[in-house]
Amino acid sequence: MSTDIEKLHDDHDHGPSSGIMRWITTTNHKDIGTMYLWFSLIMFFIGGLMALVIRAELFQPGLQLVVPGFFNQMTTMHALVMIFGAVMPAFVGLANWQLPIMIGAPDMALPRLNNWSFWILPFAFTMMLSTLFMESGGPAAGWTLYPPLSLQGGDSFPFTILAIHMLGVSSILGAINVIATILNMRAPGMTLMKMPIFVWTWLITAFLLIASMPVLAGAVTMLLTDKFFGTMFFTASGGGDPVMFQHIFWFFGHPEVYILILPAFGIVSTIIPAFSRKRLFGYDSMVYATASIALLSFIVWAHHMFTVGMPLAGEIFFMFTTMLIAIPTGVKVFNWVATMWRGSMTFETPMLFAIAFIVLFTIGGFSGLMLAMVPADFQYHDTYFVVAHFHYVLVPGAVFAIMAAVYYWLPKWTGKMYNEGLGKLHFWLTTIFVNLTFFPMHFVGLAGMPRRIPDYAVQFADFNAIASVGAFGFGLSQLLFVYILFNTLKKDVTAEDKVWEGAEGLEWTLSSPPPYHSFEKAPTVD
Amino acid sequence: MRISNILLMVIFPTAALAEWETNMPRGVTPTSEVAYDLHMLIFYITVVIGIVVFGAMLYSILYHRKSLGHKPAKFHESTKVEIIWTVIPFIILVGMAVPATKALIMMEDTRDSEITLKVTGYQWMWQYEYLEDNVTFFSKISDESNAARRLGSGVDVTTVDNYLRDVDHAIVLPTNTKVRILLTANDVIHAWWVPELGGKKDAIPGYVNEIWVDIKEPGTYRGQCAELCGKDHGFMPIVVHAVSKPEYYKWVGIQKTNRVAKNK
Amino acid sequence: MSSFKKTYLSLTLFTIFMFSFSYMLVPLYDIFCEITGLNGKTNQERVLVVNENPSERFVTVKFTSTVANSAPFTFEPIDREMVVQVGKIYNTFYTLTNNTTSVKHATASPSVVPHEDAEYFKKIECFCFSQQQINGLETKELPLQFIIDNELDNDTRTLILSYTMFNTTDQVGSK
Repeated sequence: MSTDIEKLHDDHDHGPSSGIMRWITTTNHKDIGTMYLWFSLIMFFIGGLMALVIRAELFQPGLQLVVPGFFNQMTTMHALVMIFGAVMPAFVGLANWQLPIMIGAPDMALPRLNNWSFWILPFAFTMMLSTLFMESGGPAAGWTLYPPLSLQGGDSFPFTILAIHMLGVSSILGAINVIATILNMRAPGMTLMKMPIFVWTWLITAFLLIASMPVLAGAVTMLLTDKFFGTMFFTASGGGDPVMFQHIFWFFGHPEVYILILPAFGIVSTIIPAFSRKRLFGYDSMVYATASIALLSFIVWAHHMFTVGMPLAGEIFFMFTTMLIAIPTGVKVFNWVATMWRGSMTFETPMLFAIAFIVLFTIGGFSGLMLAMVPADFQYHDTYFVVAHFHYVLVPGAVFAIMAAVYYWLPKWTGKMYNEGLGKLHFWLTTIFVNLTFFPMHFVGLAGMPRRIPDYAVQFADFNAIASVGAFGFGLSQLLFVYILFNTLKKDVTAEDKVWEGAEGLEWTLSSPPPYHSFEKAPTVD
Repeated sequence: MRISNILLMVIFPTAALAEWETNMPRGVTPTSEVAYDLHMLIFYITVVIGIVVFGAMLYSILYHRKSLGHKPAKFHESTKVEIIWTVIPFIILVGMAVPATKALIMMEDTRDSEITLKVTGYQWMWQYEYLEDNVTFFSKISDESNAARRLGSGVDVTTVDNYLRDVDHAIVLPTNTKVRILLTANDVIHAWWVPELGGKKDAIPGYVNEIWVDIKEPGTYRGQCAELCGKDHGFMPIVVHAVSKPEYYKWVGIQKTNRVAKNK
Repeated sequence: MSSFKKTYLSLTLFTIFMFSFSYMLVPLYDIFCEITGLNGKTNQERVLVVNENPSERFVTVKFTSTVANSAPFTFEPIDREMVVQVGKIYNTFYTLTNNTTSVKHATASPSVVPHEDAEYFKKIECFCFSQQQINGLETKELPLQFIIDNELDNDTRTLILSYTMFNTTDQVGSK
């Protein structure tokens, strides 16, 4: 990498260039952060539309709208778009905006690389989404791409693999940038154990990214060579084994799950103290808990595949390690509650989302604990109970944290205050509908409805109808979010520098909005 | 009414409106029963933990608010407290791990089965083979369901008996007999699952997996494929008729005669 | 500046390492399978040193077969079940019929349940060691010579050996 801090200094006096070129050529962390966030919002709606196709079809038993093949493309694409297009870019966008201004740095360590890692994304997704318009349709084997089914994919297959490679490159470059920034560009006096907790969680997430994304790249490359170049990694006739793909995939996949949630922990750990007007309880233990969750994530992968027929010892090992994750996760939840305990709380929109995060994420954690029990998992596995579980940790988990973060920092980013009443309305609609959508899925799952089916037996009809109503309500509520964003952007700059009474951290010492180059002179931290 | 149902209704009141299925079936085999008991045990534990944690949070939200003039306390760490809430969950987890491990060891013990049923997953149907008696047949979704499930079929599926849960050729298994079920596949990975008979396992091309059932109650039990296997994954049901042993052997006899008749 | 460069370099190397690691998982997985009997994978190689040491124990071995991807083969065991003495060598056959008129190649993949006991099922001679070539409409007898190891768990009274026959004609053609 030839780009380094000195090259950055050459750019110093330039403000943003004008027009579209500003966005294409920008190396500014705030511009790139903004682009990531908008991109993520667009993807959130595209993935959401796919979810609505799924829910519309499942509103009633019988096939009314789509054929089963297309339904499978929707479930596959919905997952890929939401994971790689909506949640991950949103966190990277938040990292871009927040990391430099939280650690007192002028910009990210690798500004040009930063530009590149963003601009890969739109191309990768254009390619991935374009497969839906191919004659053979898009990928339909589930986002987990299990062979031999995924190898039956048509023309879309190599395009999907290539798109996943591009997403991987983008994530890895982003992660390297984050690590380099955090390790090398902190303000004097900011030791590691004085870093804001969001910075800590992102540092750990970035390590998870560079450890796991290359493994995904390896796994999908093996799929590609199996299909086109005669290798036999996953075919029993050539000494391969389809189950091996699942092991390699989930060796990536489980750290990936924490990539989607650790930054959310950081956000909630930032917002809860701010609106409780009380320091975060157990900062040190929060850091250790995050690190232990990250380490554990590498030895629990096979709990995604308890039903493949592992040896008993393997099942017991993965059951125990999975249960262990409950301990650091529990510590985090207890610390949040202790932070709120005897605080002086107010309930602005970010705080509401953060509190809902704690409650609903914990419910997702509970069902996760149930899923860890192998004998019971033999019943839960691949049912809507699992769908309910991971949506509880990803929607009111990751997505709520992202929304909380946007409401929390939006006044800082834009210098404009959003409409608090509308924000609260958005919160309540979202929370009610999210539960209406995903809570009934626990019931149909337990009662025996498998996931990834376009049509179901009549006894599952009532809860599915409720879930579909909830999903449409949830989707429509997000239009209000977009309205709130545009409504805020239209306003005049009026927000104070320190927007929230209880907020702590370097970003609140900057003006709102912050100058184009944040912290030209590094602040000193005691 | 069971406490579990009441708890579920508290959490989700509409469940009280109708007798909708909201829980895992207890099933009719030793394996389904241990799975159910474990499921309920963990469910109650999480409910208790939930009440404690959310209760503390709710109390804090109600009373420690600025609008009530509550002043923030200054404490922000306590090693003692951190140790307590690391150790207590650990103890609870050990309490959960013991019955889970016991149950698992029991479930994985397929030894001394009397009958072996081999299941082969196909896109999109099942093939069954009774190894000892050399009886083989395919089983796929019933014609009635299959016609009704087409896009734009114009059939009101609620009028179809056992919509998507009926097959042309059901399996018959004897009650009170340990049956080993071998699972494999012809093309892609499938998973064979009848909830009331216990858990599922994957049917993987090139390899065999095994589970066992010991059905305690005669009856008809329905399930379906549980691993995405392509476009008609949702349309490969499983039907098991559990009958007494003499009836089972009568059925086997008929199957054998049919086969001989067919071969002639 | 050097601390920056060190960071980039080590992170890039780590990324490359993790990519290679995914390929290293392939042989690691095979070793893991052999140790644990995952999937009932049996040794793909013939057992070279065989010490016949018949014990008093008898176990039942059941044989079954599957044709993968609905290939045009008929593939069945001659013996569906054998009661064998542990530690003694036995012979049996499978028959493979090519239901087409053209030459086909076929490879069999073995799997044993219970998985934990797969390692004690030792094959001295097996058609699964090599690819079979079979002429159109031909029926071939495929030999299997095996021994159950004396180390077999005392509680195991039944073993089931399953073969899945794959049509590998295309793979031969492409090579």
